Amino acid sequence: MISTLILGIALLIIGFYAMLTQKNLIKIVIGFSIADTGTHIIIVSLGYLRGKTAPIIDNAVNAVNAVQEVVDPIPSALVLTAIVIGLAVTAVMLSFIVEMYKKNKSLSIDDYQELKW
Amino acid sequence: MVSPIYILIMSLAVGFLLSIIDRAGRKISLTAFYGVLTFNVVLMANWLYRFVFLHVPTLVINTAGFKAPISINLELGLMEAFVLFFANLSGLLAAVYLFKKFKETQVSSLILYLLLIMGANGLVMTQDLFNMFVFLEILSISTFALTVLKKSRETLSAGFKYMIAGGVASTFFLLGVVFVYYFTGSLNLGNLSAGSFTNVGLVSVFLLSIAVFIELKPFPANGWALDVYQSVDSGIVSIIAVVNSAAIGFVFYKIMPLLPSEFLTVFGIAGIVTFLFSNMMGLKQDNAKRLLGYSSIGQMGLLLAALIFTANVQPSVRYLVIGGLFLNHLISKAGLFWLAGIVKQDKIKDWGILRSRKPLLVLFGLFIFALSGLPPFAGFWAKWEFVKVLVDAKMFFVLTSVLVGSLFELIFLFRWFTSVVKNTDETNEQLASPGKSKATPVIVFGLMAVISSFGIMRFFYEFNWIQVLPIFAVLAISLIDSLPSKVKGFLSLAAVAGYGYYIYPLLENNLQMFFGVIFIIGSAINIIATLNRKNQSRGFYGFLLMMIFSFGNLLIASTYLEFFLAWEFMTISSFLLILRGQKAQRASLLYLIFSTAGAYLIMVGFSFAPALSSSGGALINVIELVNLPLVSIIVLAIGFMIKSGSAGVHIWLPEAHAEAESDVSPFISAILLKAGVFGLLMLGISYISFTPSFDVFYWIGWVGVITALIGAFMASFQEDAKKLLAYSSMSQVGYVVAALAMITHLGWVSALYLAFNHMMFKSALFIAIAGVYYRTRTRKMYEMGGLIAKMPLSYITVLMSIIAVSGVPPLSGFGAKWLIYTAFITKGWYLQAGVLFFASGVSFLYLYRLIHTIFLGQLKYEHQDIKEAPVWFIIPQYIFMAGIMAISMFPNLIIKPLNVIAMKYFDSSIQIDGLTVISELGHWNGNLVMYVTMAVFAIPFILLLVLKGKTQKVKQFNIVYAAERPESPQTTHVAHNMYAHFRKALGKWTLPRVQLFWDSVAEWSHTLGGFFRRVYTGNGQTYILHIVVYIVVMYVVMGVK
Repeated sequence: MISTLILGIALLIIGFYAMLTQKNLIKIVIGFSIADTGTHIIIVSLGYLRGKTAPIIDNAVNAVNAVQEVVDPIPSALVLTAIVIGLAVTAVMLSFIVEMYKKNKSLSIDDYQELKW
Repeated sequence: MVSPIYILIMSLAVGFLLSIIDRAGRKISLTAFYGVLTFNVVLMANWLYRFVFLHVPTLVINTAGFKAPISINLELGLMEAFVLFFANLSGLLAAVYLFKKFKETQVSSLILYLLLIMGANGLVMTQDLFNMFVFLEILSISTFALTVLKKSRETLSAGFKYMIAGGVASTFFLLGVVFVYYFTGSLNLGNLSAGSFTNVGLVSVFLLSIAVFIELKPFPANGWALDVYQSVDSGIVSIIAVVNSAAIGFVFYKIMPLLPSEFLTVFGIAGIVTFLFSNMMGLKQDNAKRLLGYSSIGQMGLLLAALIFTANVQPSVRYLVIGGLFLNHLISKAGLFWLAGIVKQDKIKDWGILRSRKPLLVLFGLFIFALSGLPPFAGFWAKWEFVKVLVDAKMFFVLTSVLVGSLFELIFLFRWFTSVVKNTDETNEQLASPGKSKATPVIVFGLMAVISSFGIMRFFYEFNWIQVLPIFAVLAISLIDSLPSKVKGFLSLAAVAGYGYYIYPLLENNLQMFFGVIFIIGSAINIIATLNRKNQSRGFYGFLLMMIFSFGNLLIASTYLEFFLAWEFMTISSFLLILRGQKAQRASLLYLIFSTAGAYLIMVGFSFAPALSSSGGALINVIELVNLPLVSIIVLAIGFMIKSGSAGVHIWLPEAHAEAESDVSPFISAILLKAGVFGLLMLGISYISFTPSFDVFYWIGWVGVITALIGAFMASFQEDAKKLLAYSSMSQVGYVVAALAMITHLGWVSALYLAFNHMMFKSALFIAIAGVYYRTRTRKMYEMGGLIAKMPLSYITVLMSIIAVSGVPPLSGFGAKWLIYTAFITKGWYLQAGVLFFASGVSFLYLYRLIHTIFLGQLKYEHQDIKEAPVWFIIPQYIFMAGIMAISMFPNLIIKPLNVIAMKYFDSSIQIDGLTVISELGHWNGNLVMYVTMAVFAIPFILLLVLKGKTQKVKQFNIVYAAERPESPQTTHVAHNMYAHFRKALGKWTLPRVQLFWDSVAEWSHTLGGFFRRVYTGNGQTYILHIVVYIVVMYVVMGVK
């Protein structure tokens, strides 16, 4: 659990680092995506219990004593929703970039600062 | 009853169906779309009604057939229903506003809009943290997409910045949610409390709360929001400012119980800092929508702070503060954003176009007044209660920030308002008709603002109708505004008489009666001068009546709040009256800023004052039983002295008096200033019974003395007749303040005597000058001269009045001077008496100038054909003259009642023997003085008539034919810059230091605002950095481990 947690946090930091340093709009969104993935890994790692299996009741898991055999199912359920939402946000961001490029022929965030103060 | 979960179901269902049914035609899809939005409003209205009036318990909705925490549950209580009713109503109205857009655009916009409203509803009702995240994302994604309803380079880049910032915030929110689950094993708010988190677990609530907080746009991590406010379509941005903020603000309210109190304090302070700084930065803003953005951000900061700092007060007060701030912001901000979409002008200075649509202009004014927290709108009551809460909790840093921030906000909002009303660049452009769909929402919210204010006054404070009368006066006159001005004038006169008749029995005390005479009878006589108005004067009489009724309401106010309400109504109405003057933009703004600063001080002063024990009649009567703490006295005194134009805070006075219309000036000068005197007397009455260790009134006395001196000097150097009179008023009220500050019997008798005298002669003088201005069309005295031949009646008024001012026998001023010097000497204030004596000498300079330059000397060529002032100006002048003559001839008429008034508070120090007033130091018989003076005058007069020789008249400017003709011959005359030699002798002393001081205060605040707003570089990446750094800083400040 600890190693995946560290991996998640590392991805989160890398993602933010990319968002703060990359000038290219698409790279910023990639940074966001990496951070998002980091978040998802953190979520999953928090629900992980050593030696337990996936929280799906089928042949491998007996429905009666499922509680003893599976990892915490709630983070797994949450992460699915979070992934979907992350996908939607990323898609909207990318579609914005497409429109921005069409209007302005530039992908550098520095070219979009006429609104200020 | 229909469950509110149907809001979510209907929105989703119709949202999905829209793309299909749209194929059958936009009409059908629009019907479904507006149907859902209306359904939401009706449903919430019903629930709100049930919670408020039927007191039904909070509704809990379980989903998926399980009880929480197994399943997600929703809750709808009073708070939720209140927020959601107004959020849904705004949603519906904004959709109506966007009707034309929705008719043409792709159907996806309609779907997104429905999802946005659904997200807001879900966010407010859900009790599950993860579900909250989902709704937050639904709300955010649909908002992101809607920002480009109007697709342009600016909206795209603003929308992108918004998305990145929102994305970062929601990442933290998600992490917070998961960690909350990790540490507590629950996601349901019902199972969680601040105690659920151990030290390590605190990081989870920190992440959760900071993410919500970032969404609420704290300074300085909010640059992205400003760009959105500036660029996005007005209809959508009103939703972002109102619905999104309300929903997310409510999320913060819901997670507040999870936060330890140290977190909350830091968040509260961060909210206040946001309020202060965004309003400061707003000072430099000239783009209308960005300005509204600054104001929105500030208001949200204030609302958050209010949420946090009112947590421990009684619920009814808390609801009023939070509900009032919320409602006020919602109504006025949405209204202003919608107006921005109708006006379609980016720059504030181009908004003058609004004048071509009067109803919209009125609504604009309404929203500006509401947003500035002026009565009777909801924000006013909220602020009053909030200040009280902060004073009780001794949170002085927060209190100061709230007040300074509010003042900044008022400044930029009213700079905008006055420039819209008064902007002189003539554009004949007409504002295109907004169309029904755009106008309706604005009108509805305008009505809501009015209704909600009356609701608060009627049901929360249970005010008597008389307290609200000033507002009704405006409404009543606006109904008959199409009548000719004379008719309205006579009606107003009748209304004032009726009002006087009504409050007469309520004036139990002689002091009230005395001020009743000044306020009501003085005003009534001054109304006569307004009958000369030829044009229709729309709006004039409404605000005039509002002002006069507020004067009267000050007298009968029985609580601090009633007094303050009357005070604020007085300020608003007089501001609007001053604003009517031709070049009064700057003057009225200055007046409003100073008055509001004074009002804030009065509000704080009353908050410090102990509660009134019972309803023992008017405040002025029960105040003697109230032990005002020292800080309260000081703060109140400064507040009142701003209104009476004391030195240091007087710079509004000359401008306002001079630039107001000439028949308004007498009200402002002769009567309004006395309201400050009334306030100071009220303090004095409490001071007599409970004298604090520090002698405040000694220093107030000095301020009065200095005011008298500075006013007199400044008056002497004016070329403008009305400015001269204005400074003279300042000086005279300085005498009054100095006299009442003695807190002795004779001091008060002389203060009241002076006040009464000043009311009469200053009214007469201002009306006389109004007549002169009416005929000559100039206020510059050196452009006049010799008017004695043309306007003898006005001349006599001015002559008599200046005799009455200067204090030479035989007129009333002599008695005033005799009384005041006697009072000073018996009190032992010798130095003060000396300075005042000197000031009296200086006043001769300006008084002489007034009569010499205007009426004596030779007539200017251009004034050959002018006539005496109109009869409506002459009548009130001579009523006042009669008054002055009466009290000069028979001083007992006034000395006796004043003696009685002051005897209520002190032992009498004078005896009245027949016509003679006897004091410790000597005696004065006004009647005798009159006869002696008349004889002294009559003998040389007769002698001169007998000895009158041949006089030869010299033409005035014949010097100019000797050589070159000067551009403006008047300035070669002695009357121009008359006292240049004194000015020279005084050297640096005549520099307008006070003016310079306030100018630099203004400049500094603007420069600071300009400096801070540089953080908003416009670069999206910088904004992410701000957010990240902000989170880190808050992490450190809150000491999360």
